This record gives sequence, structure tokens and C-alpha cells, in this order.
Amino acid sequence: ECGRISLPTPTVHLGDPITASCVISPNCSHLDPESQILWKLGTELQPGKRQRRLADGRQESTITVPRLSSPRVLLSCCVRWGTSLQILDQAEVQAGYPPATPHDLSCLMNLTTNSLICQWEPGPDTHLSTHFTLKSFKSRGNCQTQEDSILNCLPNDGQNHCSIPRRDLLLYQNMSIWVEAKNALGTSKSPQLCLVPMDVVKLEPPTLWALAPSPEVAPPQPGCLLLRWEPWKPSLYIEQKCELRHQPQLGEDSWVLVGPLLSQTLQYELCGLLPSTAYVLQMRCTRWPLPGQWSDWSPSLTLTTAQR
Amino acid sequence: PLGPTSSLPQSFLLKCLEQMRKVQADSTVLQERLCATHKLCHPEELVLLGHALGIPQPSLSGCSSHALQLTGCLRQLHNGLVLYQGLLQALTGLPPELTPALETLQLDIGDFAINLWREMEELGVAPAVPPTQGAMPAFTSAFQRRAGGVLVASNLQSFLELAYRALRSFAKP
Repeated sequence: ECGRISLPTPTVHLGDPITASCVISPNCSHLDPESQILWKLGTELQPGKRQRRLADGRQESTITVPRLSSPRVLLSCCVRWGTSLQILDQAEVQAGYPPATPHDLSCLMNLTTNSLICQWEPGPDTHLSTHFTLKSFKSRGNCQTQEDSILNCLPNDGQNHCSIPRRDLLLYQNMSIWVEAKNALGTSKSPQLCLVPMDVVKLEPPTLWALAPSPEVAPPQPGCLLLRWEPWKPSLYIEQKCELRHQPQLGEDSWVLVGPLLSQTLQYELCGLLPSTAYVLQMRCTRWPLPGQWSDWSPSLTLTTAQR
Repeated sequence: PLGPTSSLPQSFLLKCLEQMRKVQADSTVLQERLCATHKLCHPEELVLLGHALGIPQPSLSGCSSHALQLTGCLRQLHNGLVLYQGLLQALTGLPPELTPALETLQLDIGDFAINLWREMEELGVAPAVPPTQGAMPAFTSAFQRRAGGVLVASNLQSFLELAYRALRSFAKP
């Protein structure tokens, strides 16, 4: 081994100085032990280094780079050898920031995947490899005391969401959740959420249909529409309320909201509309009276009102 | 302890009823799978085997309409859930296509038992010592596990149906 670079740390704050040393070995064949050690930062030769002979005869050069301004720097220890510059060792220095506090942590209980999906904002880029971990524990009351810990949830690289599987959840009990960010320069934690998984359940939208006239169902009046809907099947065990919105298919009218419609109703006559006019209808539902999140709006259903 | 005419906190009652509907839905899925995969669609065809296996059925006498008593009903309901947890555990080894349905049912019954126990503690009606599952039937063949699955799921439905009606009557007037 001809030369060896030593760094106090391979990672520093962006903008901070770094001091490195390189020692060349006298028994490096073909190398003049009195050679002058040169440094390159990337491809640029660097001034301002100090060289001294160690007690054991080896040469040591020390350099201080006053201010690292790019996230990744290659520092090379070199010597002149004939007409060429020989690289004896190379070190990679990373520069960045400690992780910012993750924020805007929110979670939804997804009944399709049967998991609690949490997402967060990671904060500004640290320029360093930063790992996020979703941490949680089961609790009673308001999450002041930890009962059972839950396996850490590790998101895929680069993703800012993670899913806690059903087997790790108590759907109707409080749990405390937070995000931890860690890189070479430090660790930060988001504020803690205290929630009951089922209280953040987000349902899939209901399905909307036209209600065809039949012996039991009289045709709609002019300016009215007959429609029926079906809650999302996996949520049938959940009491829900829904709301409907409609707007004329043509024109710039904004949505008109109708609700709440209780989930047991399942059919509805919408009146007060213009006759012979096509309307676009959508519906969404939420767990109710127990807490929950609104579903997305259902796909549109277009119906035309009867003539006068 | 709660008086005979006491009622349950509204929020807890709504969650309880929701959980019951959820467990019933899970149980229905398991029954449908057993019917689809092994043509075991009618529990009444398995009554004889059920007796032979000695599948216990928990009492809900405290929840019946003519002897309704909140503390007794909650305790019996919890005992029953613990018993069904054991019975479902004993069914482990069902074919892979039934495992997801069984695991969901096990998880949801486990959740329900924990919630009920904690609420009973807060209401001050939890017994000093949590109930234990007791002796479980031994399902010694693949067929017995499947048949046991049908019977346990069917019994669980009836158990929850009775408990559901009882809990509804504990709602605040």
C-alpha cells in the first residue's frame, strides 16, 4: 500500500471545512520516499497543504478544504512520478444537512388492503442518504403510555408513505404513530399522532345507478331524477352517511350538494332540476355517526330529466 | 357494578355493533369459501359430527330478552369471544385458500375481545381474572377441520345475532 488517506468523518455539513491527511509509505516500490504529496479536489489541484516526516520515516501531508460546497467530493492523494501525476489513494466526502423534521403526517385505514397507510412530508433535500421509519405503539387512553410496540414500518426507498399491516393493528384502540428520519448527520422525529385506526377509515366510493321505472316505482316527475346506490361491499358492516352532488352536463354551473343521505336509504328522487336536461351526478360516503374519512367521489352518472 | 337498567356509552355501543357486523361478515366469508371449495354449505348436515367433536357453544343467558342484565351479558359475550378465539385457533391447518378468511376472522374477534374487555374494565364490570379458553375439541383430520370450520362459523353467527339484539337494547333511550 503506497498511500492512505485518513478522514475524521466521511460526512460533513454542507459549507463546513474538512481536514484530511495522507501518509505515503517508504516501501512503496518505485516511489521516491521524499516525494511531495499533492492533493486533488475532484480534478483540481489544491494549494494550502502541510507536509512533514513522521518519526517512522513516512511522509504525511495534511490539507484543510475550507468550505465544501457540493454534496459529493472526491479527494485524491497524489505524487508526481516522472512527468505524470500518480493517484495513491482517493476518499469520497459527502456533504449535506441533518434531516429536517418530517411533517404533515396523516394516516388512512384502507379496507381494501386491510392496512393503515400513513404518509408524510420529508422536508427539504438533505443531499445525504436519509432513511425514514414509521414508528408506532399500541396504547390506551390518549397515547401517553405505551402498551405493545409495533414493528417499525420501513418505506421503500424514496417513498414517503408506509403501510402497517392488519395483524399489527387493534382497529378500535388508540395507537401512537410518528416518523423518524435519520442520516449520517443526525436524527429527527415528527410530532406524534394518536389515533384509532377505524376512526380514519376511508371507504371506497359507492356505486350510483339510475332507478328504472317499474310497477313499484312511478316514472320521475319533470325536473326530477330517480337514482339508487349501493355502498362499497366491504363496508356494508359500517353505518355510513353519503352526499350527492350534481351539475348540468353542459354549461359552467358549479356542483350542487345534496345530503346527508343515510346509507340505509339506497334510493332517492332528486327534484328541483331543469326539465329535459342532462345532469352529471356523483356520490361519496363516510362512516357515520362514528368518525371516518370521506370516500372519493364516485364515477359520474349522467341522467336526463323528463320533459315537462 | 351496573344496575339492570344501566346503558352503554353511545360511542362504545356503536363500535361494538360495528365490530359484531364486521365479525359476522368475516364469518360469512369463511362459510362461503368452505361452501365453494369443499361443498360444505349446510351446517345442519354436520350436526352429528358436531356432537362427536364436542364443539362447545357459549351461553348468552344474560343477554336474552327476558333476563337481560348488562354486566352478565357483557361477561358472557366476552367469554364467548374468548372461546371462539380458541375454537378458531384449533382450526389452524385449514387449506391455504381458506387461510386469509380464517386469519381475518381471528384478528377481528381478537380485536373485539380486547375492546370489550377494556370497556368492561372502565365500566368496572370486568371479572378479577380474565376468562381462559378451556379445553378445545381436537380436529384430527382435514375433513374435521373443514367441517369444524362450518360449524364454528355458523354457531358464531347465531351467537353474535343474539348478542347484537341484546346490545341494541342497552342503547341510551
